[in-house]
Amino acid sequence: MFDPEKLIRKGLPKGYFKDILVRSLLGGITYLIVLIAVLLFAKIIIDGAPAIFTSKFPFVDIEFLTAKNETLHVFDDANGTRHQLPASKYSEYVSTHQGENIYNEQTFSYSGGGIAGPIAGTALLTVGSIILALFFGVSAAIYLAEYAKQSPFIHAVRLAILNLAGIPSIVFGLFGFSVFVLAVPVITSTPSDRTLLAIPLFINDWVLSFQGWNSSLIAGCATLACMILPVIITASEESLRAVPQGFRDASLAMGGTRWQTIRKCVLPYSLPGILTSSLLAITRVAGETAPIMFTAAVAAKDDFPWQGLGNPFDILSSQVQALPYHIYTLAARIPNSEYTQRAQYGSVLVFLILVAVLSFGSMVLRAKMRSKLKW
Amino acid sequence: MGIVGSFSDAHFLAKPDQSPSTSPGTMAPEERSLPATRHRFQRQGFSYERLIKFFFASNAGLTIVILILIIVFLLKEGLGFFPGYRRELETYRIAGLEFVDISRKNLTSHEQLTSLLNRAYFAEINGKSVREMRRTQEASALFNAFTDQIAPTRDLILNNPQGETDGNSGMLASLRANFEIQRAKALDSPLPTPHLTADERKHLIESLRTRPAEATDDPPLVAALAGEFAAAQQKNSEPLQAYRATIDVFEAAGSDLGSAIMEMTELVTATKEKLQSADILEKDRRTLLAAASNEKNPAEREKLLAEAQAALAEKPDIETPMQALLERRPDNIRLHAELRLASAEIFKQIPLSLSESDANRLLNAARSAWPVFLAGLDAAPEKINAWKHTDPVPLSDAIISFLTGRDWITGGEWQDFYGILPLAIGSLMIAIVALVIAIPVGIGSAIYVNQFAARREQSLVKPVIEFIQAIPSVVLGFIGILVFGTVLREISVMDSLQWVPGFPIEERLNIFTAGCLLALMSIPTIFSLAEDALNNVPSAYAEASEALGASKVQTTFRVMIPAAFSGMLAAILLGFGRVIGETMVVLLVAGNRIKIPDFTAGLGVFFQPTHTLTGIIAQELGEVPLGSVHYRALFVVGILLFVVVLGINATAHHFVNRVKK
Repeated sequence: MFDPEKLIRKGLPKGYFKDILVRSLLGGITYLIVLIAVLLFAKIIIDGAPAIFTSKFPFVDIEFLTAKNETLHVFDDANGTRHQLPASKYSEYVSTHQGENIYNEQTFSYSGGGIAGPIAGTALLTVGSIILALFFGVSAAIYLAEYAKQSPFIHAVRLAILNLAGIPSIVFGLFGFSVFVLAVPVITSTPSDRTLLAIPLFINDWVLSFQGWNSSLIAGCATLACMILPVIITASEESLRAVPQGFRDASLAMGGTRWQTIRKCVLPYSLPGILTSSLLAITRVAGETAPIMFTAAVAAKDDFPWQGLGNPFDILSSQVQALPYHIYTLAARIPNSEYTQRAQYGSVLVFLILVAVLSFGSMVLRAKMRSKLKW
Repeated sequence: MGIVGSFSDAHFLAKPDQSPSTSPGTMAPEERSLPATRHRFQRQGFSYERLIKFFFASNAGLTIVILILIIVFLLKEGLGFFPGYRRELETYRIAGLEFVDISRKNLTSHEQLTSLLNRAYFAEINGKSVREMRRTQEASALFNAFTDQIAPTRDLILNNPQGETDGNSGMLASLRANFEIQRAKALDSPLPTPHLTADERKHLIESLRTRPAEATDDPPLVAALAGEFAAAQQKNSEPLQAYRATIDVFEAAGSDLGSAIMEMTELVTATKEKLQSADILEKDRRTLLAAASNEKNPAEREKLLAEAQAALAEKPDIETPMQALLERRPDNIRLHAELRLASAEIFKQIPLSLSESDANRLLNAARSAWPVFLAGLDAAPEKINAWKHTDPVPLSDAIISFLTGRDWITGGEWQDFYGILPLAIGSLMIAIVALVIAIPVGIGSAIYVNQFAARREQSLVKPVIEFIQAIPSVVLGFIGILVFGTVLREISVMDSLQWVPGFPIEERLNIFTAGCLLALMSIPTIFSLAEDALNNVPSAYAEASEALGASKVQTTFRVMIPAAFSGMLAAILLGFGRVIGETMVVLLVAGNRIKIPDFTAGLGVFFQPTHTLTGIIAQELGEVPLGSVHYRALFVVGILLFVVVLGINATAHHFVNRVKK
């Protein structure tokens, strides 16, 4: 008799164990990465938490976040009690104790006080470069998405964007150094010796001198802005193109000009998308060290960037501390000991929290945007 | 700058609309004279709308301007390097430094051979007394950790004047109490000592616990173990006495050549200084002349010209010292021949093999380097005779010396060399380690997430991997320097892992450490691009394959991966580009030793410190004087990086575009 049961293969299918093996191998690799990432964060959080969290209200060590960065002095007093004081408090201590009974003194650069200076510097650098990059980047994206037709110029622009996106950050550092620090024009009455070209302006005795902005906040911002320009342009163009063509057609049919259409019917709908993706660019800007090493950052600075300025614009020409550069200094230039750990892990944790909040925010916003804006 | 620069770009875009004007009669009379191609509704002249369009176009052109600026300024700062370096090499030749280096090269390889033989000797002895060595190392490590903890308080007690009555006793008492606290803390968790017996360990800790606060000497067990080790070394060195004597003879054979080189060095350094000061004077004179030609006041100009005349450097006399140097040629050749003779003799006396594998490796390295050394000595007389200080140094020499030079030596007293080979090899080896780890992991997890994972898994794994990408590189470098390097070293000293080549590692910051961290950085790049590539495969492929009865694994490996292969290749290449261009991690973690890694160590070569193309720029640019040859060399390294990374990216995009078509 014909038995249909015979047609059904019994037992495990051929290659079943191979299947399982391949699957679990690949899965294992994947979860290994996840595990490593989790371990990394756990290590930083565990070691950094004592520096910035306290057991008392408000649970955050405000001083670490708001105090200036100073040298740490570690010493024993006559009773063998160990003191750890930042430079300002140390000099107070020395003056009240007439400098006596200080034994086994050790100093650790950059390890005392807080990290307010680097935080402020990073904030200024980030805000400055994002403003620059958004202005130029969104304008360029509007051209690419709204005006451009196929032409050699557009082809060249796209090629330039593609290439700019791939350039290593240290090359941007070299570029920023040779252009913004050493070569861009400034108006001054006393051109420096190394000026490339000095053009007299015939007003007072001002000269347009191509001598650069020196290492300064503005030079750093400009370098970082150049670096993220391709990211901003690509993201903005994408969100501009996501606005349905009907919006534009309707506006144009009503007699609106191109610019009116863009201003009233395209930009408002793509702006959330542009801002969301620029959050990701902020994450990148805040984290970069190589481009600002020679253009803006300084390891130690006594004042906050906004202190001791003649006029508010001087802030642009002053050097700043920056969080990533501060971490580099802490990791590379000072010995690792139990007294420097607070500064080291604390700075890293603060930095990582900052980056995590930014990138998590952009992920959430992006998900929200996608579900909300469906035309 | 961008706006000004790109208006010209915008011009050819502003094509007039091609619609012909329908009825000329409706136009205002003055408009009739304009070309008829304009639409009649279009306002003439520089309209507001067109201005806006120009503005946006100029911003788009800004990207081109930036790219051009990058290229122009890199070239502007970098191209001056080759003439400057050629001039330095010329001085190197004219002053006779090159002549000395012919002999010095042989002396250096003699020294390296001596050091190899010596290392083999000590590796043999220490290998035989390994048990004693471990024991004494562990005991002193435990003791040192203890001392580090208590030393400050102990020094306080020692420094406090004792026996006085002015209330010092109270302070001393509190100091002692504090000392006890510190001691308890130090002995709370003493370091592990796997090679000491439990009894010995207990004894050691007990002796630390009970010793007086003032004691600074070693505890008896530590001293005894050190003695034990010394005795074992003594005992094991006895069978090697003949070998020791051979090494000593070999070492002594080079001393004559060494002192001859010392004498020549003094001679040529003096000449070089003369040449350099003449160069500086010449530069001053040119500046003065340039100032004079710009000066309008004739009296001032005369003054400047006179100064320039005064600054006219006498050509330094290089012929006399050069003759003195060249007279040493026969002497020099004789010394080489003597060394050659002695070395050939000594080679026969070296034992064929030793008992320890480490010692054997070093001995074999020495043996294989020996013929090269002898050949160098053989070739020396010819080179010495053929060398002429008047030979010209063409520009190509500077370029070749830069691209293939094995030394990057800067700020030295002898001669600066800018050879990028050690840096390029360092970058490449780190990239190899990173890619060997990142490719299987990145591609594997992309395949898993895309093909096998459930939707819920995907939404868990993807954000985590994407978040790794957001970690700033300096944080990864920090982790490498403070956590990973230390952990790696601790792992490498484990007994059970001694079969791994290169273990135990000498430096905690090395190629492998940097490669691992860079792998972590490039995994997200490779992962997301490879996943995209898999996503882009039309679903009909998978459906067709499954309809034919293929299993999921078969479909994945026989259909999906071949279809997405180009995209995956692009992902790998972009990951490679990212690894080569990364700066902060390698600057912090690669160890920063500018030297071609020692490939005789086999796979252990990956555990040596190195330096990289990106790291050298970040490290040295802040310290060099503007416009110097060294400064320009860093820009040339930048140009090289730029070209390499753009090449890699262009290849990757070529693959991506092939998929799109």
